[in-house]
Amino acid sequence: MELWGYIFRRLIQIVIIFFVILTVLFVIFRLAPGDPVERMVDPSMTPEDIQLLISQLGLDKPLGVQYLYYLKNFIAGQFGISFHYGQPVVKIIWNRLPNTILLFTTSVILSALAGIFLGKIAAWLKGKKTDSAMTIGALVTHTIFIPWLGLLLIWVFAFKLGWFPITGMISEEVWLDPAAGRWVKALDVMHHMVLPVATLFLIYFGSYLLIMRSSMLETLKEDYIITGRAKGLTGKTVRDRHAAPNARLPVVTSVGLSLAFSINGGALTETVFTWPGIGRELVMAVSQSDYPLAQASFLLIAAVVLLSNLVVDILYAYLDPRIRY
Amino acid sequence: MRHLAGTRSTGFWGKFFGTKSVFALVLGLGWMVMAGIGSSQVEAADLLKAGFLEEPKTLNIMRASDRWSRRVLSLIYQSLYVRHPETLELVPWLAAEAPVYDAADLCYTVKLRPAKWSDGSEFTAADVAFTARLIQEFKVSRYLSKWKFVERIETPDKHTLKFYLTEPMAIFESRTLITPIVPKKQWEAIAEKARNSQEPRTTFLNANLETPIGTGPFVLQQWRQGAYLYLKRNEHFFAEGQTIQGRLLGPYIDGIVFKFFGTSDAAVMALRKGALDMFWWGIQPGYLDELKRDDAIKVFSNQRSALYYLGFNVRRAPFNDRNLRQAIATLIDKGFIIERILQGHGSAMRSFIPSANTFWHCSEVPAYGMSLSRAEKVRAAYKILREAGYTWETPPVNEKGELVKGEGLRMPDGEPLPEFTILTPPADYDPLRAISGIMIQGWLRDVGMPASARPMAFSALLDQVKKLHKFDAFILAYGRLDIDPAWLRAFFHSGNDKPRGWNMSGYRNPEFDSLAEASDRAVDPAERRDLVRNMQKMLLRDVPYIPLYNPEMIEAVHQAGFDGWVNMLEGIGNIWSFCEVKPR
Repeated sequence: MELWGYIFRRLIQIVIIFFVILTVLFVIFRLAPGDPVERMVDPSMTPEDIQLLISQLGLDKPLGVQYLYYLKNFIAGQFGISFHYGQPVVKIIWNRLPNTILLFTTSVILSALAGIFLGKIAAWLKGKKTDSAMTIGALVTHTIFIPWLGLLLIWVFAFKLGWFPITGMISEEVWLDPAAGRWVKALDVMHHMVLPVATLFLIYFGSYLLIMRSSMLETLKEDYIITGRAKGLTGKTVRDRHAAPNARLPVVTSVGLSLAFSINGGALTETVFTWPGIGRELVMAVSQSDYPLAQASFLLIAAVVLLSNLVVDILYAYLDPRIRY
Repeated sequence: MRHLAGTRSTGFWGKFFGTKSVFALVLGLGWMVMAGIGSSQVEAADLLKAGFLEEPKTLNIMRASDRWSRRVLSLIYQSLYVRHPETLELVPWLAAEAPVYDAADLCYTVKLRPAKWSDGSEFTAADVAFTARLIQEFKVSRYLSKWKFVERIETPDKHTLKFYLTEPMAIFESRTLITPIVPKKQWEAIAEKARNSQEPRTTFLNANLETPIGTGPFVLQQWRQGAYLYLKRNEHFFAEGQTIQGRLLGPYIDGIVFKFFGTSDAAVMALRKGALDMFWWGIQPGYLDELKRDDAIKVFSNQRSALYYLGFNVRRAPFNDRNLRQAIATLIDKGFIIERILQGHGSAMRSFIPSANTFWHCSEVPAYGMSLSRAEKVRAAYKILREAGYTWETPPVNEKGELVKGEGLRMPDGEPLPEFTILTPPADYDPLRAISGIMIQGWLRDVGMPASARPMAFSALLDQVKKLHKFDAFILAYGRLDIDPAWLRAFFHSGNDKPRGWNMSGYRNPEFDSLAEASDRAVDPAERRDLVRNMQKMLLRDVPYIPLYNPEMIEAVHQAGFDGWVNMLEGIGNIWSFCEVKPR
């Protein structure tokens, strides 16, 4: 019952925080420099034509009225019409979201698996060459500039070696071929995923490795590890069955938040690889002052981050019986 | 008992991170993306692959404002007249012949050539009249100014139109008659639905057209959002197999697949790799060397219809003084900008209308030191300022006639020339303009002007200059300027000196206003040309803007696949190219 009470209290907090974010986003976009209309006009348009355009976008109304429309739309489960697409924002986001989830869930899970495994080894071999190599390698890949790494991978593996497509998510040759079945198309998507996933993998796995290594080093100092060794258990058993499972807890938080932030954190990767996801859309919406689309994208990120935090907290209670709320 | 917790979590994590689970998850997500995907019925053939930097936003031509949507739509919807690729004159396209003007009735008569819509139905005068009425009824911002003065349209028969104007209007032929025409059959339903909605105009402009019907050489076959857009050859294209303006037109290709690239780097690699046949975007000079070394690549250079300029805020001191503006115009070394910053890929602009627009361009304007050496420029600027009453603590030309660093410049009223800022777009948006700003700053400081170049985020720059009018000077550009020079009025008429108005410098000259208004009404091209040339002379005398340069449009294609590209002002991405390009 304590847990349910905690969840209820957190949900109330989430609603309040979300409302604050909703309002702050509205204000920030209106205060930020940039005029959505400027991208849509040309010199043949008279000031009256431009005024019509402003009215078409609903920007002629007082800010208070615009805010009320915004709230009304949100409560109705809508986020308005994109200034540039002229389409409901919800439709655009739903179109892009699965692509982002596919790319980032794959990357985060693969990098978490690798990070946990290698972090465990690094901690176990603390101070040895393997540990140093892994730690330095993790630091390098974690801090590397994403567009540079992405372009480097494209240049080597797509342009020079020709192993992978240069960018995009699908090949028109495959998708326009009536003989191509679902499996061929699925393989085509996977083929396109390799380089962006590799980029994100290299960026993410370093942080997981470092977190896991640090957590593992702490765990290895615990009494029950010494007891395990004293009982004559093999090193592998102590490491894999006693230390590693408990050391993974901090990685849970990191994975949870990575999944949440991956929606926007991949803007650069999605841009470099022309991956049609939310991150790329978000960048374009902000640069073109497409308020409805940018606001909705940020709200989605906010919602996912808030809920991920809650899920991580609940998972903690499940994974560690000592934690009670 | 701590290890028990660990044992339990091992089971959980085993499930959570198990290899089979991960594989299943990846596959599951793959299927999620593929949901709703069916096999295409389209057979790949001689498909030209063209690269875009962004995805089109809409296929609703009444709404489309981004260049990518408009490029795709330009191959689907056609107009009555188009520009000839060499002479740039308007030539009949959906029209059968040149329009006939009856000055007494203010009426233009246009005859249509036989044509069909892509669904096989007949294109008639009713479609043209319907398009005009749609624009007027729903106040379509992009086209309204071109149709406001059309009082009524008569269609005596299926292939004849009579446009009655409220007043003589020069842009009727050059702007109104190049409006893309939409089919009545398809758009009538959209208009009716909009009329019955709460917000007719918004509903109309937000209409989602999944299968636009046009008269152009191509028709939409498939748009897989985020991936590609496929245009198929229109079997009913009116010009196929016909010779228009001495050019035997196709299309000779089965279709065009537009692919989207987030960066020019990726697009250039795709081009070199052969994954693209054409990159429909200007190539930056930095890529040129490697592209020219690549035998598979052919590079095209064409003039652009663009104006890159330094603008002043003439509403206030110090730039309300024409002499100061003329002195700055004299000091700017356009040759250096072209040779060193643009690496030779551009031309210095002498007037506002690019020289390639031969009919309207005026070369009889002050040169402002264009052929002078650096030292001669400083001396000439010094002379202009000194004669206007400017003084220095240390003049840039000493008593011996030698050049020295000028200091302590004072205006004719004795006040020191205030520090001023030249706003430029940031280097990541346009390095050429950002560097030009820095160079100009240096040249002005040489004569004692306290100038500072300041790169600013593009949207913030536009806010300062266009909306708030809080600036001293700025470097901006207009690209893809229309061949018709009606935009000169928009940029400098006093009526447009208002927030969000095109007259950003705040230039107010009743004499210019009169000339601009007269040019709007001058239906006779020769008469209008004289007026437009006088407008240019006046502007170059007053220099509210200093025209700087016009960069070349550099484009690249992969040689292996297709040939027959048509060079034109603004590059090879034009309707003639796509009607003439052939598989090798």
